[in-house]
Amino acid sequence: MKDTPLANCERDFLLKAIEEKKRLDGRQTYDYRKIKITFGTDYGCCFVDLGKTRVMAQVSCEIVTPKENRPNEGIMFFNIELSPMASPAFEQGRQSELSVNLNRQLERCLRNSKCIDTESLCVVSGEKVWQIRVDIHMLNHDGNLMDAASIAAITALYHFKRPDVGIQGEEVTVYPPEERDPIPLSIYHMPISVSFSFFQQGTYLLVDPCEREERVMDGLLMIAMNKHREICSIQSSGGIMLLKEQVMRCSKIASVKVSEITELITKALENDKKARKAGGRFGFAESMPQERITALKKDETPVEMTDVTETAYDIVQKAEAPPQTVPSPVLPVPGMGQVGLGLQNSWGLEDDEEEEEEDDDSVEEQEEKVTKMEVEQHRKEQSSGDVVEISDSEEEEVIILQPEIPNRGPKNAGSSSDQKGAAKSKKRQTK
Amino acid sequence: MAGLELLSDQGYRIDGRKATELRKVQARMGVFAQADGSAYLEQGNTKALAVVYGPHEMRGSRSRTLHDRAVINCQYSMATFSTAERKRRPHGDRKSTEMSLHLKQTFEAAVMTQLYPRSQIDIYVKILQSDGGNYSVCVNAATLAVIDAGIPMRDYVCACTVGFVDETPLADLCYAEEGGGVSSLALALLPRGGQIALLQMDARLHQDHLETLMEAAMTACKGVSKVLDEVVRQHLQEVSVLTGE
Amino acid sequence: MMEVCGSSNVSLREFGCEQSLLSRPDGSASFIQGDTSVLAGVYGPAEVKVSKEIYDRATLEVLVQPKVGLPSVRERSQEQCVRETCEASLLSSLHPRSSLTLILQVLHDDGSLLSCFLNAACMALMDAGLPMSCLFCGVTCAIHADGQIITDPTAAQEKESRALMTFAIDSTEHKVLMSSTKGSFSVHELQQCIAVSQKASEKIFQFYRDSVRRRYSKTL
Repeated sequence: MKDTPLANCERDFLLKAIEEKKRLDGRQTYDYRKIKITFGTDYGCCFVDLGKTRVMAQVSCEIVTPKENRPNEGIMFFNIELSPMASPAFEQGRQSELSVNLNRQLERCLRNSKCIDTESLCVVSGEKVWQIRVDIHMLNHDGNLMDAASIAAITALYHFKRPDVGIQGEEVTVYPPEERDPIPLSIYHMPISVSFSFFQQGTYLLVDPCEREERVMDGLLMIAMNKHREICSIQSSGGIMLLKEQVMRCSKIASVKVSEITELITKALENDKKARKAGGRFGFAESMPQERITALKKDETPVEMTDVTETAYDIVQKAEAPPQTVPSPVLPVPGMGQVGLGLQNSWGLEDDEEEEEEDDDSVEEQEEKVTKMEVEQHRKEQSSGDVVEISDSEEEEVIILQPEIPNRGPKNAGSSSDQKGAAKSKKRQTK
Repeated sequence: MAGLELLSDQGYRIDGRKATELRKVQARMGVFAQADGSAYLEQGNTKALAVVYGPHEMRGSRSRTLHDRAVINCQYSMATFSTAERKRRPHGDRKSTEMSLHLKQTFEAAVMTQLYPRSQIDIYVKILQSDGGNYSVCVNAATLAVIDAGIPMRDYVCACTVGFVDETPLADLCYAEEGGGVSSLALALLPRGGQIALLQMDARLHQDHLETLMEAAMTACKGVSKVLDEVVRQHLQEVSVLTGE
Repeated sequence: MMEVCGSSNVSLREFGCEQSLLSRPDGSASFIQGDTSVLAGVYGPAEVKVSKEIYDRATLEVLVQPKVGLPSVRERSQEQCVRETCEASLLSSLHPRSSLTLILQVLHDDGSLLSCFLNAACMALMDAGLPMSCLFCGVTCAIHADGQIITDPTAAQEKESRALMTFAIDSTEHKVLMSSTKGSFSVHELQQCIAVSQKASEKIFQFYRDSVRRRYSKTL
């Protein structure tokens, strides 16, 4: 599928509006869209809604052998999937530029800033460590995928709890969550990325671009910070030229936004913790909005089973008996086994009228086999009919092969001789 | 690399340089006869080779042709012998693809692509020996190669990697300094206007230090641009002597 | 004669659905059965690649995205099951040389995943307004080791079952459009499960009608 291209008039309109400091959805230049964070049923699953952009993150863990040059550190693996659901432009399985960009930026934001204590993930040094895998799926692309992905990733990592591990000498036991409570990961700080988009060669700047604004922007500056005002990563992309003052200004704006977002995340995590402790149902099912007209829920319903047995019995009785199973391999001749019945051998063994004609054709059987079958069918169709007139085609030379059998019309003979002639000429050509 | 002192009390680094000193830059232009432009640049122990083909007709997918500009196609790769351990996948992995994208972005900003609509300019860079500052050395080498090819640019593109240790910015990091978890900032600059073509930073750095670090990076880039300018002028002199002008 | 234990075990978990929750796809729906939830998105009819176009019908493509990791062979087989059901009920000859893409994303798997895919797919196709000759729904039955039939099993119940079957039932004649089975069972048990699924599907179709009625209650 291809994405619809952006019309020139729409592009001009957007740029003009930005020059007048107006945005499509009425936001101010430095405003973020509404962020909503919900959690799934199991630990480590989180959904983030940034306006209409929707992203899901899932954290999972596995015990693997560590890397050779870091034997006592765990492994972090990030994967951003641009699902075809998010936008018609995303294709399954293709590593587009955007995909590489997002993956690398997220890796640098979370891995290089060392937000997770990887040494605590070690089980047996040099042999077994935990590999934490974060899968992020883009569900709806309405701009600013990077920020939504970073919020989802760090929230899911905070939410995740890994199984407890017990070591007795050489044996390592992983306890399932029912036996021992799982342990949360040890995370030092919460890096969050903020994206700035530049327009008209860097004259205008917008925070949190939506999809339309992203299409007309010149370039993007991504700053990842944590609430302690430490910059974790800066990345400028797109062919824009920045000035030092612009970068400094962006970093100041970013620090304000990051503290707001961090508060939001901590609040959401607390709410979820409370809900889980209270023992109520939690997860995606509960977070479905009930008041919406597009949503409906139905409670557990029993299914009527009263006459099921009778219906089933009837159906089985009325059903045909299964076909006779073919007997086990038959040995017609020593050294040759036959399984199944196979097709009837139709070369010269039939008792029908066609037999005699086939004898005539036996010389050119090989090449004519296909044509013969067609002729046979043709003959069968017409065998019940009356005498057929000779066709009007002049090139045919009509030869009546079996004059004593009248119901086989001359047309049949003609057609067969025609094909015979064709086969003969074909044979001549192959020679 | 815990315990390795990156900056001694007297202000010397592990290779004996001062904090703001750049490594020795040596460069040659026009090293390949068959390419339109080529350059070889050494910055300390990091050696890079850059080759430019173009502008020529679009090869490959015609659908990517731009009606008003030239398309810049970059490829970054490292030789398998360039690092201490043999590199198993010289190109095609995520890091190399990301570097190629960054190079493309840098040169799209600097090269005057409006002069060559519907064409393609290829820039290939290969690292022969990697000792830190890979991206910066690539950019510097590629700048010389583009100049050697005679493609007009707005300004020299100079890049430098700076790190932050003990409240001091260190200019032009080498491999040992990069690996120590030091916050490093890579900056590609067009020196005359002070415009930043690419800015990339990893690892934690407090916001207040950002300005000092960027200043240091820009000064270092300006130093590099002087060296590159000299190399270009010298090369021109040699060539004009050979052609007898 | 096979025993079908009392109706206490034969029930459908609570289910819920939300339509039009994503802005980019032409149709989208999320379907929840107990704890299993699936998000479906539909794009179409849209432009199709020349290599994949069919001259008289729309080309339907189904993609199943698992939660963790890349799609593997199991996802491919699930895609085939869903695709065949959709092909049987969509009037694809009304949109020749176009593409219909259905993407299913697993949000949480707690058993009866394939039937959840089918239900979400049907609701998303309805939401996109694609013409269909009939609606379809999916019902999963599990046969316990002692012969007990359980509909809409959870993951724990699926693990303990002897056989697991999923049927896609159509809305007009309650016939079976697709069946996918795992495990061993007798002919009687199969027919019983089909009969049970047909009964259960009535509830699901009623749910479809209720949600669509609710959705358009303000406009109609």
